Amino acid sequence: MKQTTLARISLLPGTLWLLVLFVAPWAVVVAVSLASTNILGLPVYGTHFGNYSQILQPDVLGIFWRSLEYAALATAACLVLGYTTAYTVARYGGRYRHLIILLVLVPWLVDYLVRIYSWIQILGQGGVLNSLVHALGANVDVNLLGQSYTVIGGLAYSYLPYMVLAVYVSVEQLDDSVIEAGRDLYGTAAATFRHVTLPCTLPGVLSGCLLVFLPAIGDFATAQLLGSPDQYMVGNIISDDASNPGGLPISAGLTVLLIAVLVIVALAYMAAARPLVRRGVMERAG
Amino acid sequence: MLASPPVPATGQRAADRAVRPRRRPRAGRAGLWVVTGITALFLLVPVVVVVLYSFNSQQSLTAFGHPSLRWYIALFHNSSLLASVRVSLEVAVMTTVVATVVGTLLAFGLTRSQTRWSRPTNGILLLTLVTPEIATAMSLFLIYTTQLHVTLSVFTITASHITFSLVYVTVIVRTQISGLRREIEEAARDLGCGEMQTLRFVVLPQIRSAVIGAALLVFVLSFDDFVTSYLTSGVGTPPLPVYIYSMIKFGISPEINAIGTLMVAVSAVLGITGIFLLGFRARRGRAA
Repeated sequence: MKQTTLARISLLPGTLWLLVLFVAPWAVVVAVSLASTNILGLPVYGTHFGNYSQILQPDVLGIFWRSLEYAALATAACLVLGYTTAYTVARYGGRYRHLIILLVLVPWLVDYLVRIYSWIQILGQGGVLNSLVHALGANVDVNLLGQSYTVIGGLAYSYLPYMVLAVYVSVEQLDDSVIEAGRDLYGTAAATFRHVTLPCTLPGVLSGCLLVFLPAIGDFATAQLLGSPDQYMVGNIISDDASNPGGLPISAGLTVLLIAVLVIVALAYMAAARPLVRRGVMERAG
Repeated sequence: MLASPPVPATGQRAADRAVRPRRRPRAGRAGLWVVTGITALFLLVPVVVVVLYSFNSQQSLTAFGHPSLRWYIALFHNSSLLASVRVSLEVAVMTTVVATVVGTLLAFGLTRSQTRWSRPTNGILLLTLVTPEIATAMSLFLIYTTQLHVTLSVFTITASHITFSLVYVTVIVRTQISGLRREIEEAARDLGCGEMQTLRFVVLPQIRSAVIGAALLVFVLSFDDFVTSYLTSGVGTPPLPVYIYSMIKFGISPEINAIGTLMVAVSAVLGITGIFLLGFRARRGRAA
């Protein structure tokens, strides 16, 4: 009895911390998104739903849509590269496959911004790629900055290791004999992959997608540094308006909208995961 | 490996039949390795560029002069950059200490309190993990500036870092605590240990490596964090990632390569220490 008292007391500091600095700030975000601002840019609370009609304008919604598109495309790119890599290393990597897979973490040894800076050096005006093209004899100037595919590539680059590791874990758990059974039952390589390998590794795929999509949609440094205002994402407006006097309600409203979109994504994820749970493939789903 | 059964060479036709179906998967496997190679190149080239150009004697990207430590020397003479490193270290150390203590306590409470009050806390933990960082950072920025009326400083950055870090500590340590055998603690109590003594001499030694591992992770997360630091730092000296961000915004400077290379060195040492500690724990766990 006494031991649980101690345990209950130790719950307190952490719970209080999260209540004050995670839950309460959310109430503030919602309140500010409905506030107007005074001369100092500080919020005057009220119910100004007009803020939301300001957000739900075509140009802002366009940026929102673009963020979703970029994050989805970056996730897709990560899925193709990450799945292939994780699958290949897990099945054919030999006894050192665990060490090989850890190599995908090497970029994380460098700061996130230094990695973006490196891409500027590679892709930018007079950059490494440019020198390479010139060395190969072509006399064209290469500058890939300010393109949407560069921003998507940059996002994919930042979060690809999550996908590789998530898929790797689930391919590792896959029993080789299941795949062989598929082949023995006269399944082609493609059919075996589609009906055996893919369903069995789907939990890893789903969590990998979530691990890439979530940070990618909130990212703003990539679009800021590798793109131009034409590639700005929702994070750029949220962070820009935050330092803008009078921009706080817009910033807060966009944050609320972002979370609303993510709730929808989460529900879609749960709907996608439910059949798996029912089949018992995913015991620890969610 | 059933994929390649040895074929007894009884006749040419039999050998042909055995070889033919094996050819296609092999081509497919080569294709898989090609894509894997592309992934590896994609991931590693930027790191190589950073390390290589940090030793370039020239500012230009088109020409590599000769190997030099010019940018490292420039780095150590850049006082505002050194001040940023200092701020980042201060924030990371304070974050690590507080988040590790509070997070470990929370993990202990969640696994051992058996109260329905722990359920909402569990829910909040999950929510913090899936909320994008920019949303959490924005909400913290708003509560600091509009409700608490505090000046954005090292302390607001640290408080924000603790908020996202303590969750990682809790998740990691909780896994370890829930794997402990309760009988050992009961034995300690039977032998006359008080509850604090049980915690100190029985529980803590068993979860020590998980706590240290979590602390290292938090240190790295806090030191590298950009989004939260950017939104919750004020006009004073910014933490290193925010400083690098403004450096990049103002133009190309090879000093950034030198910082990056130093980071590779430092985080490699930290990472290897972490892996060593976790491996040590795994080995001990197996032996027990």
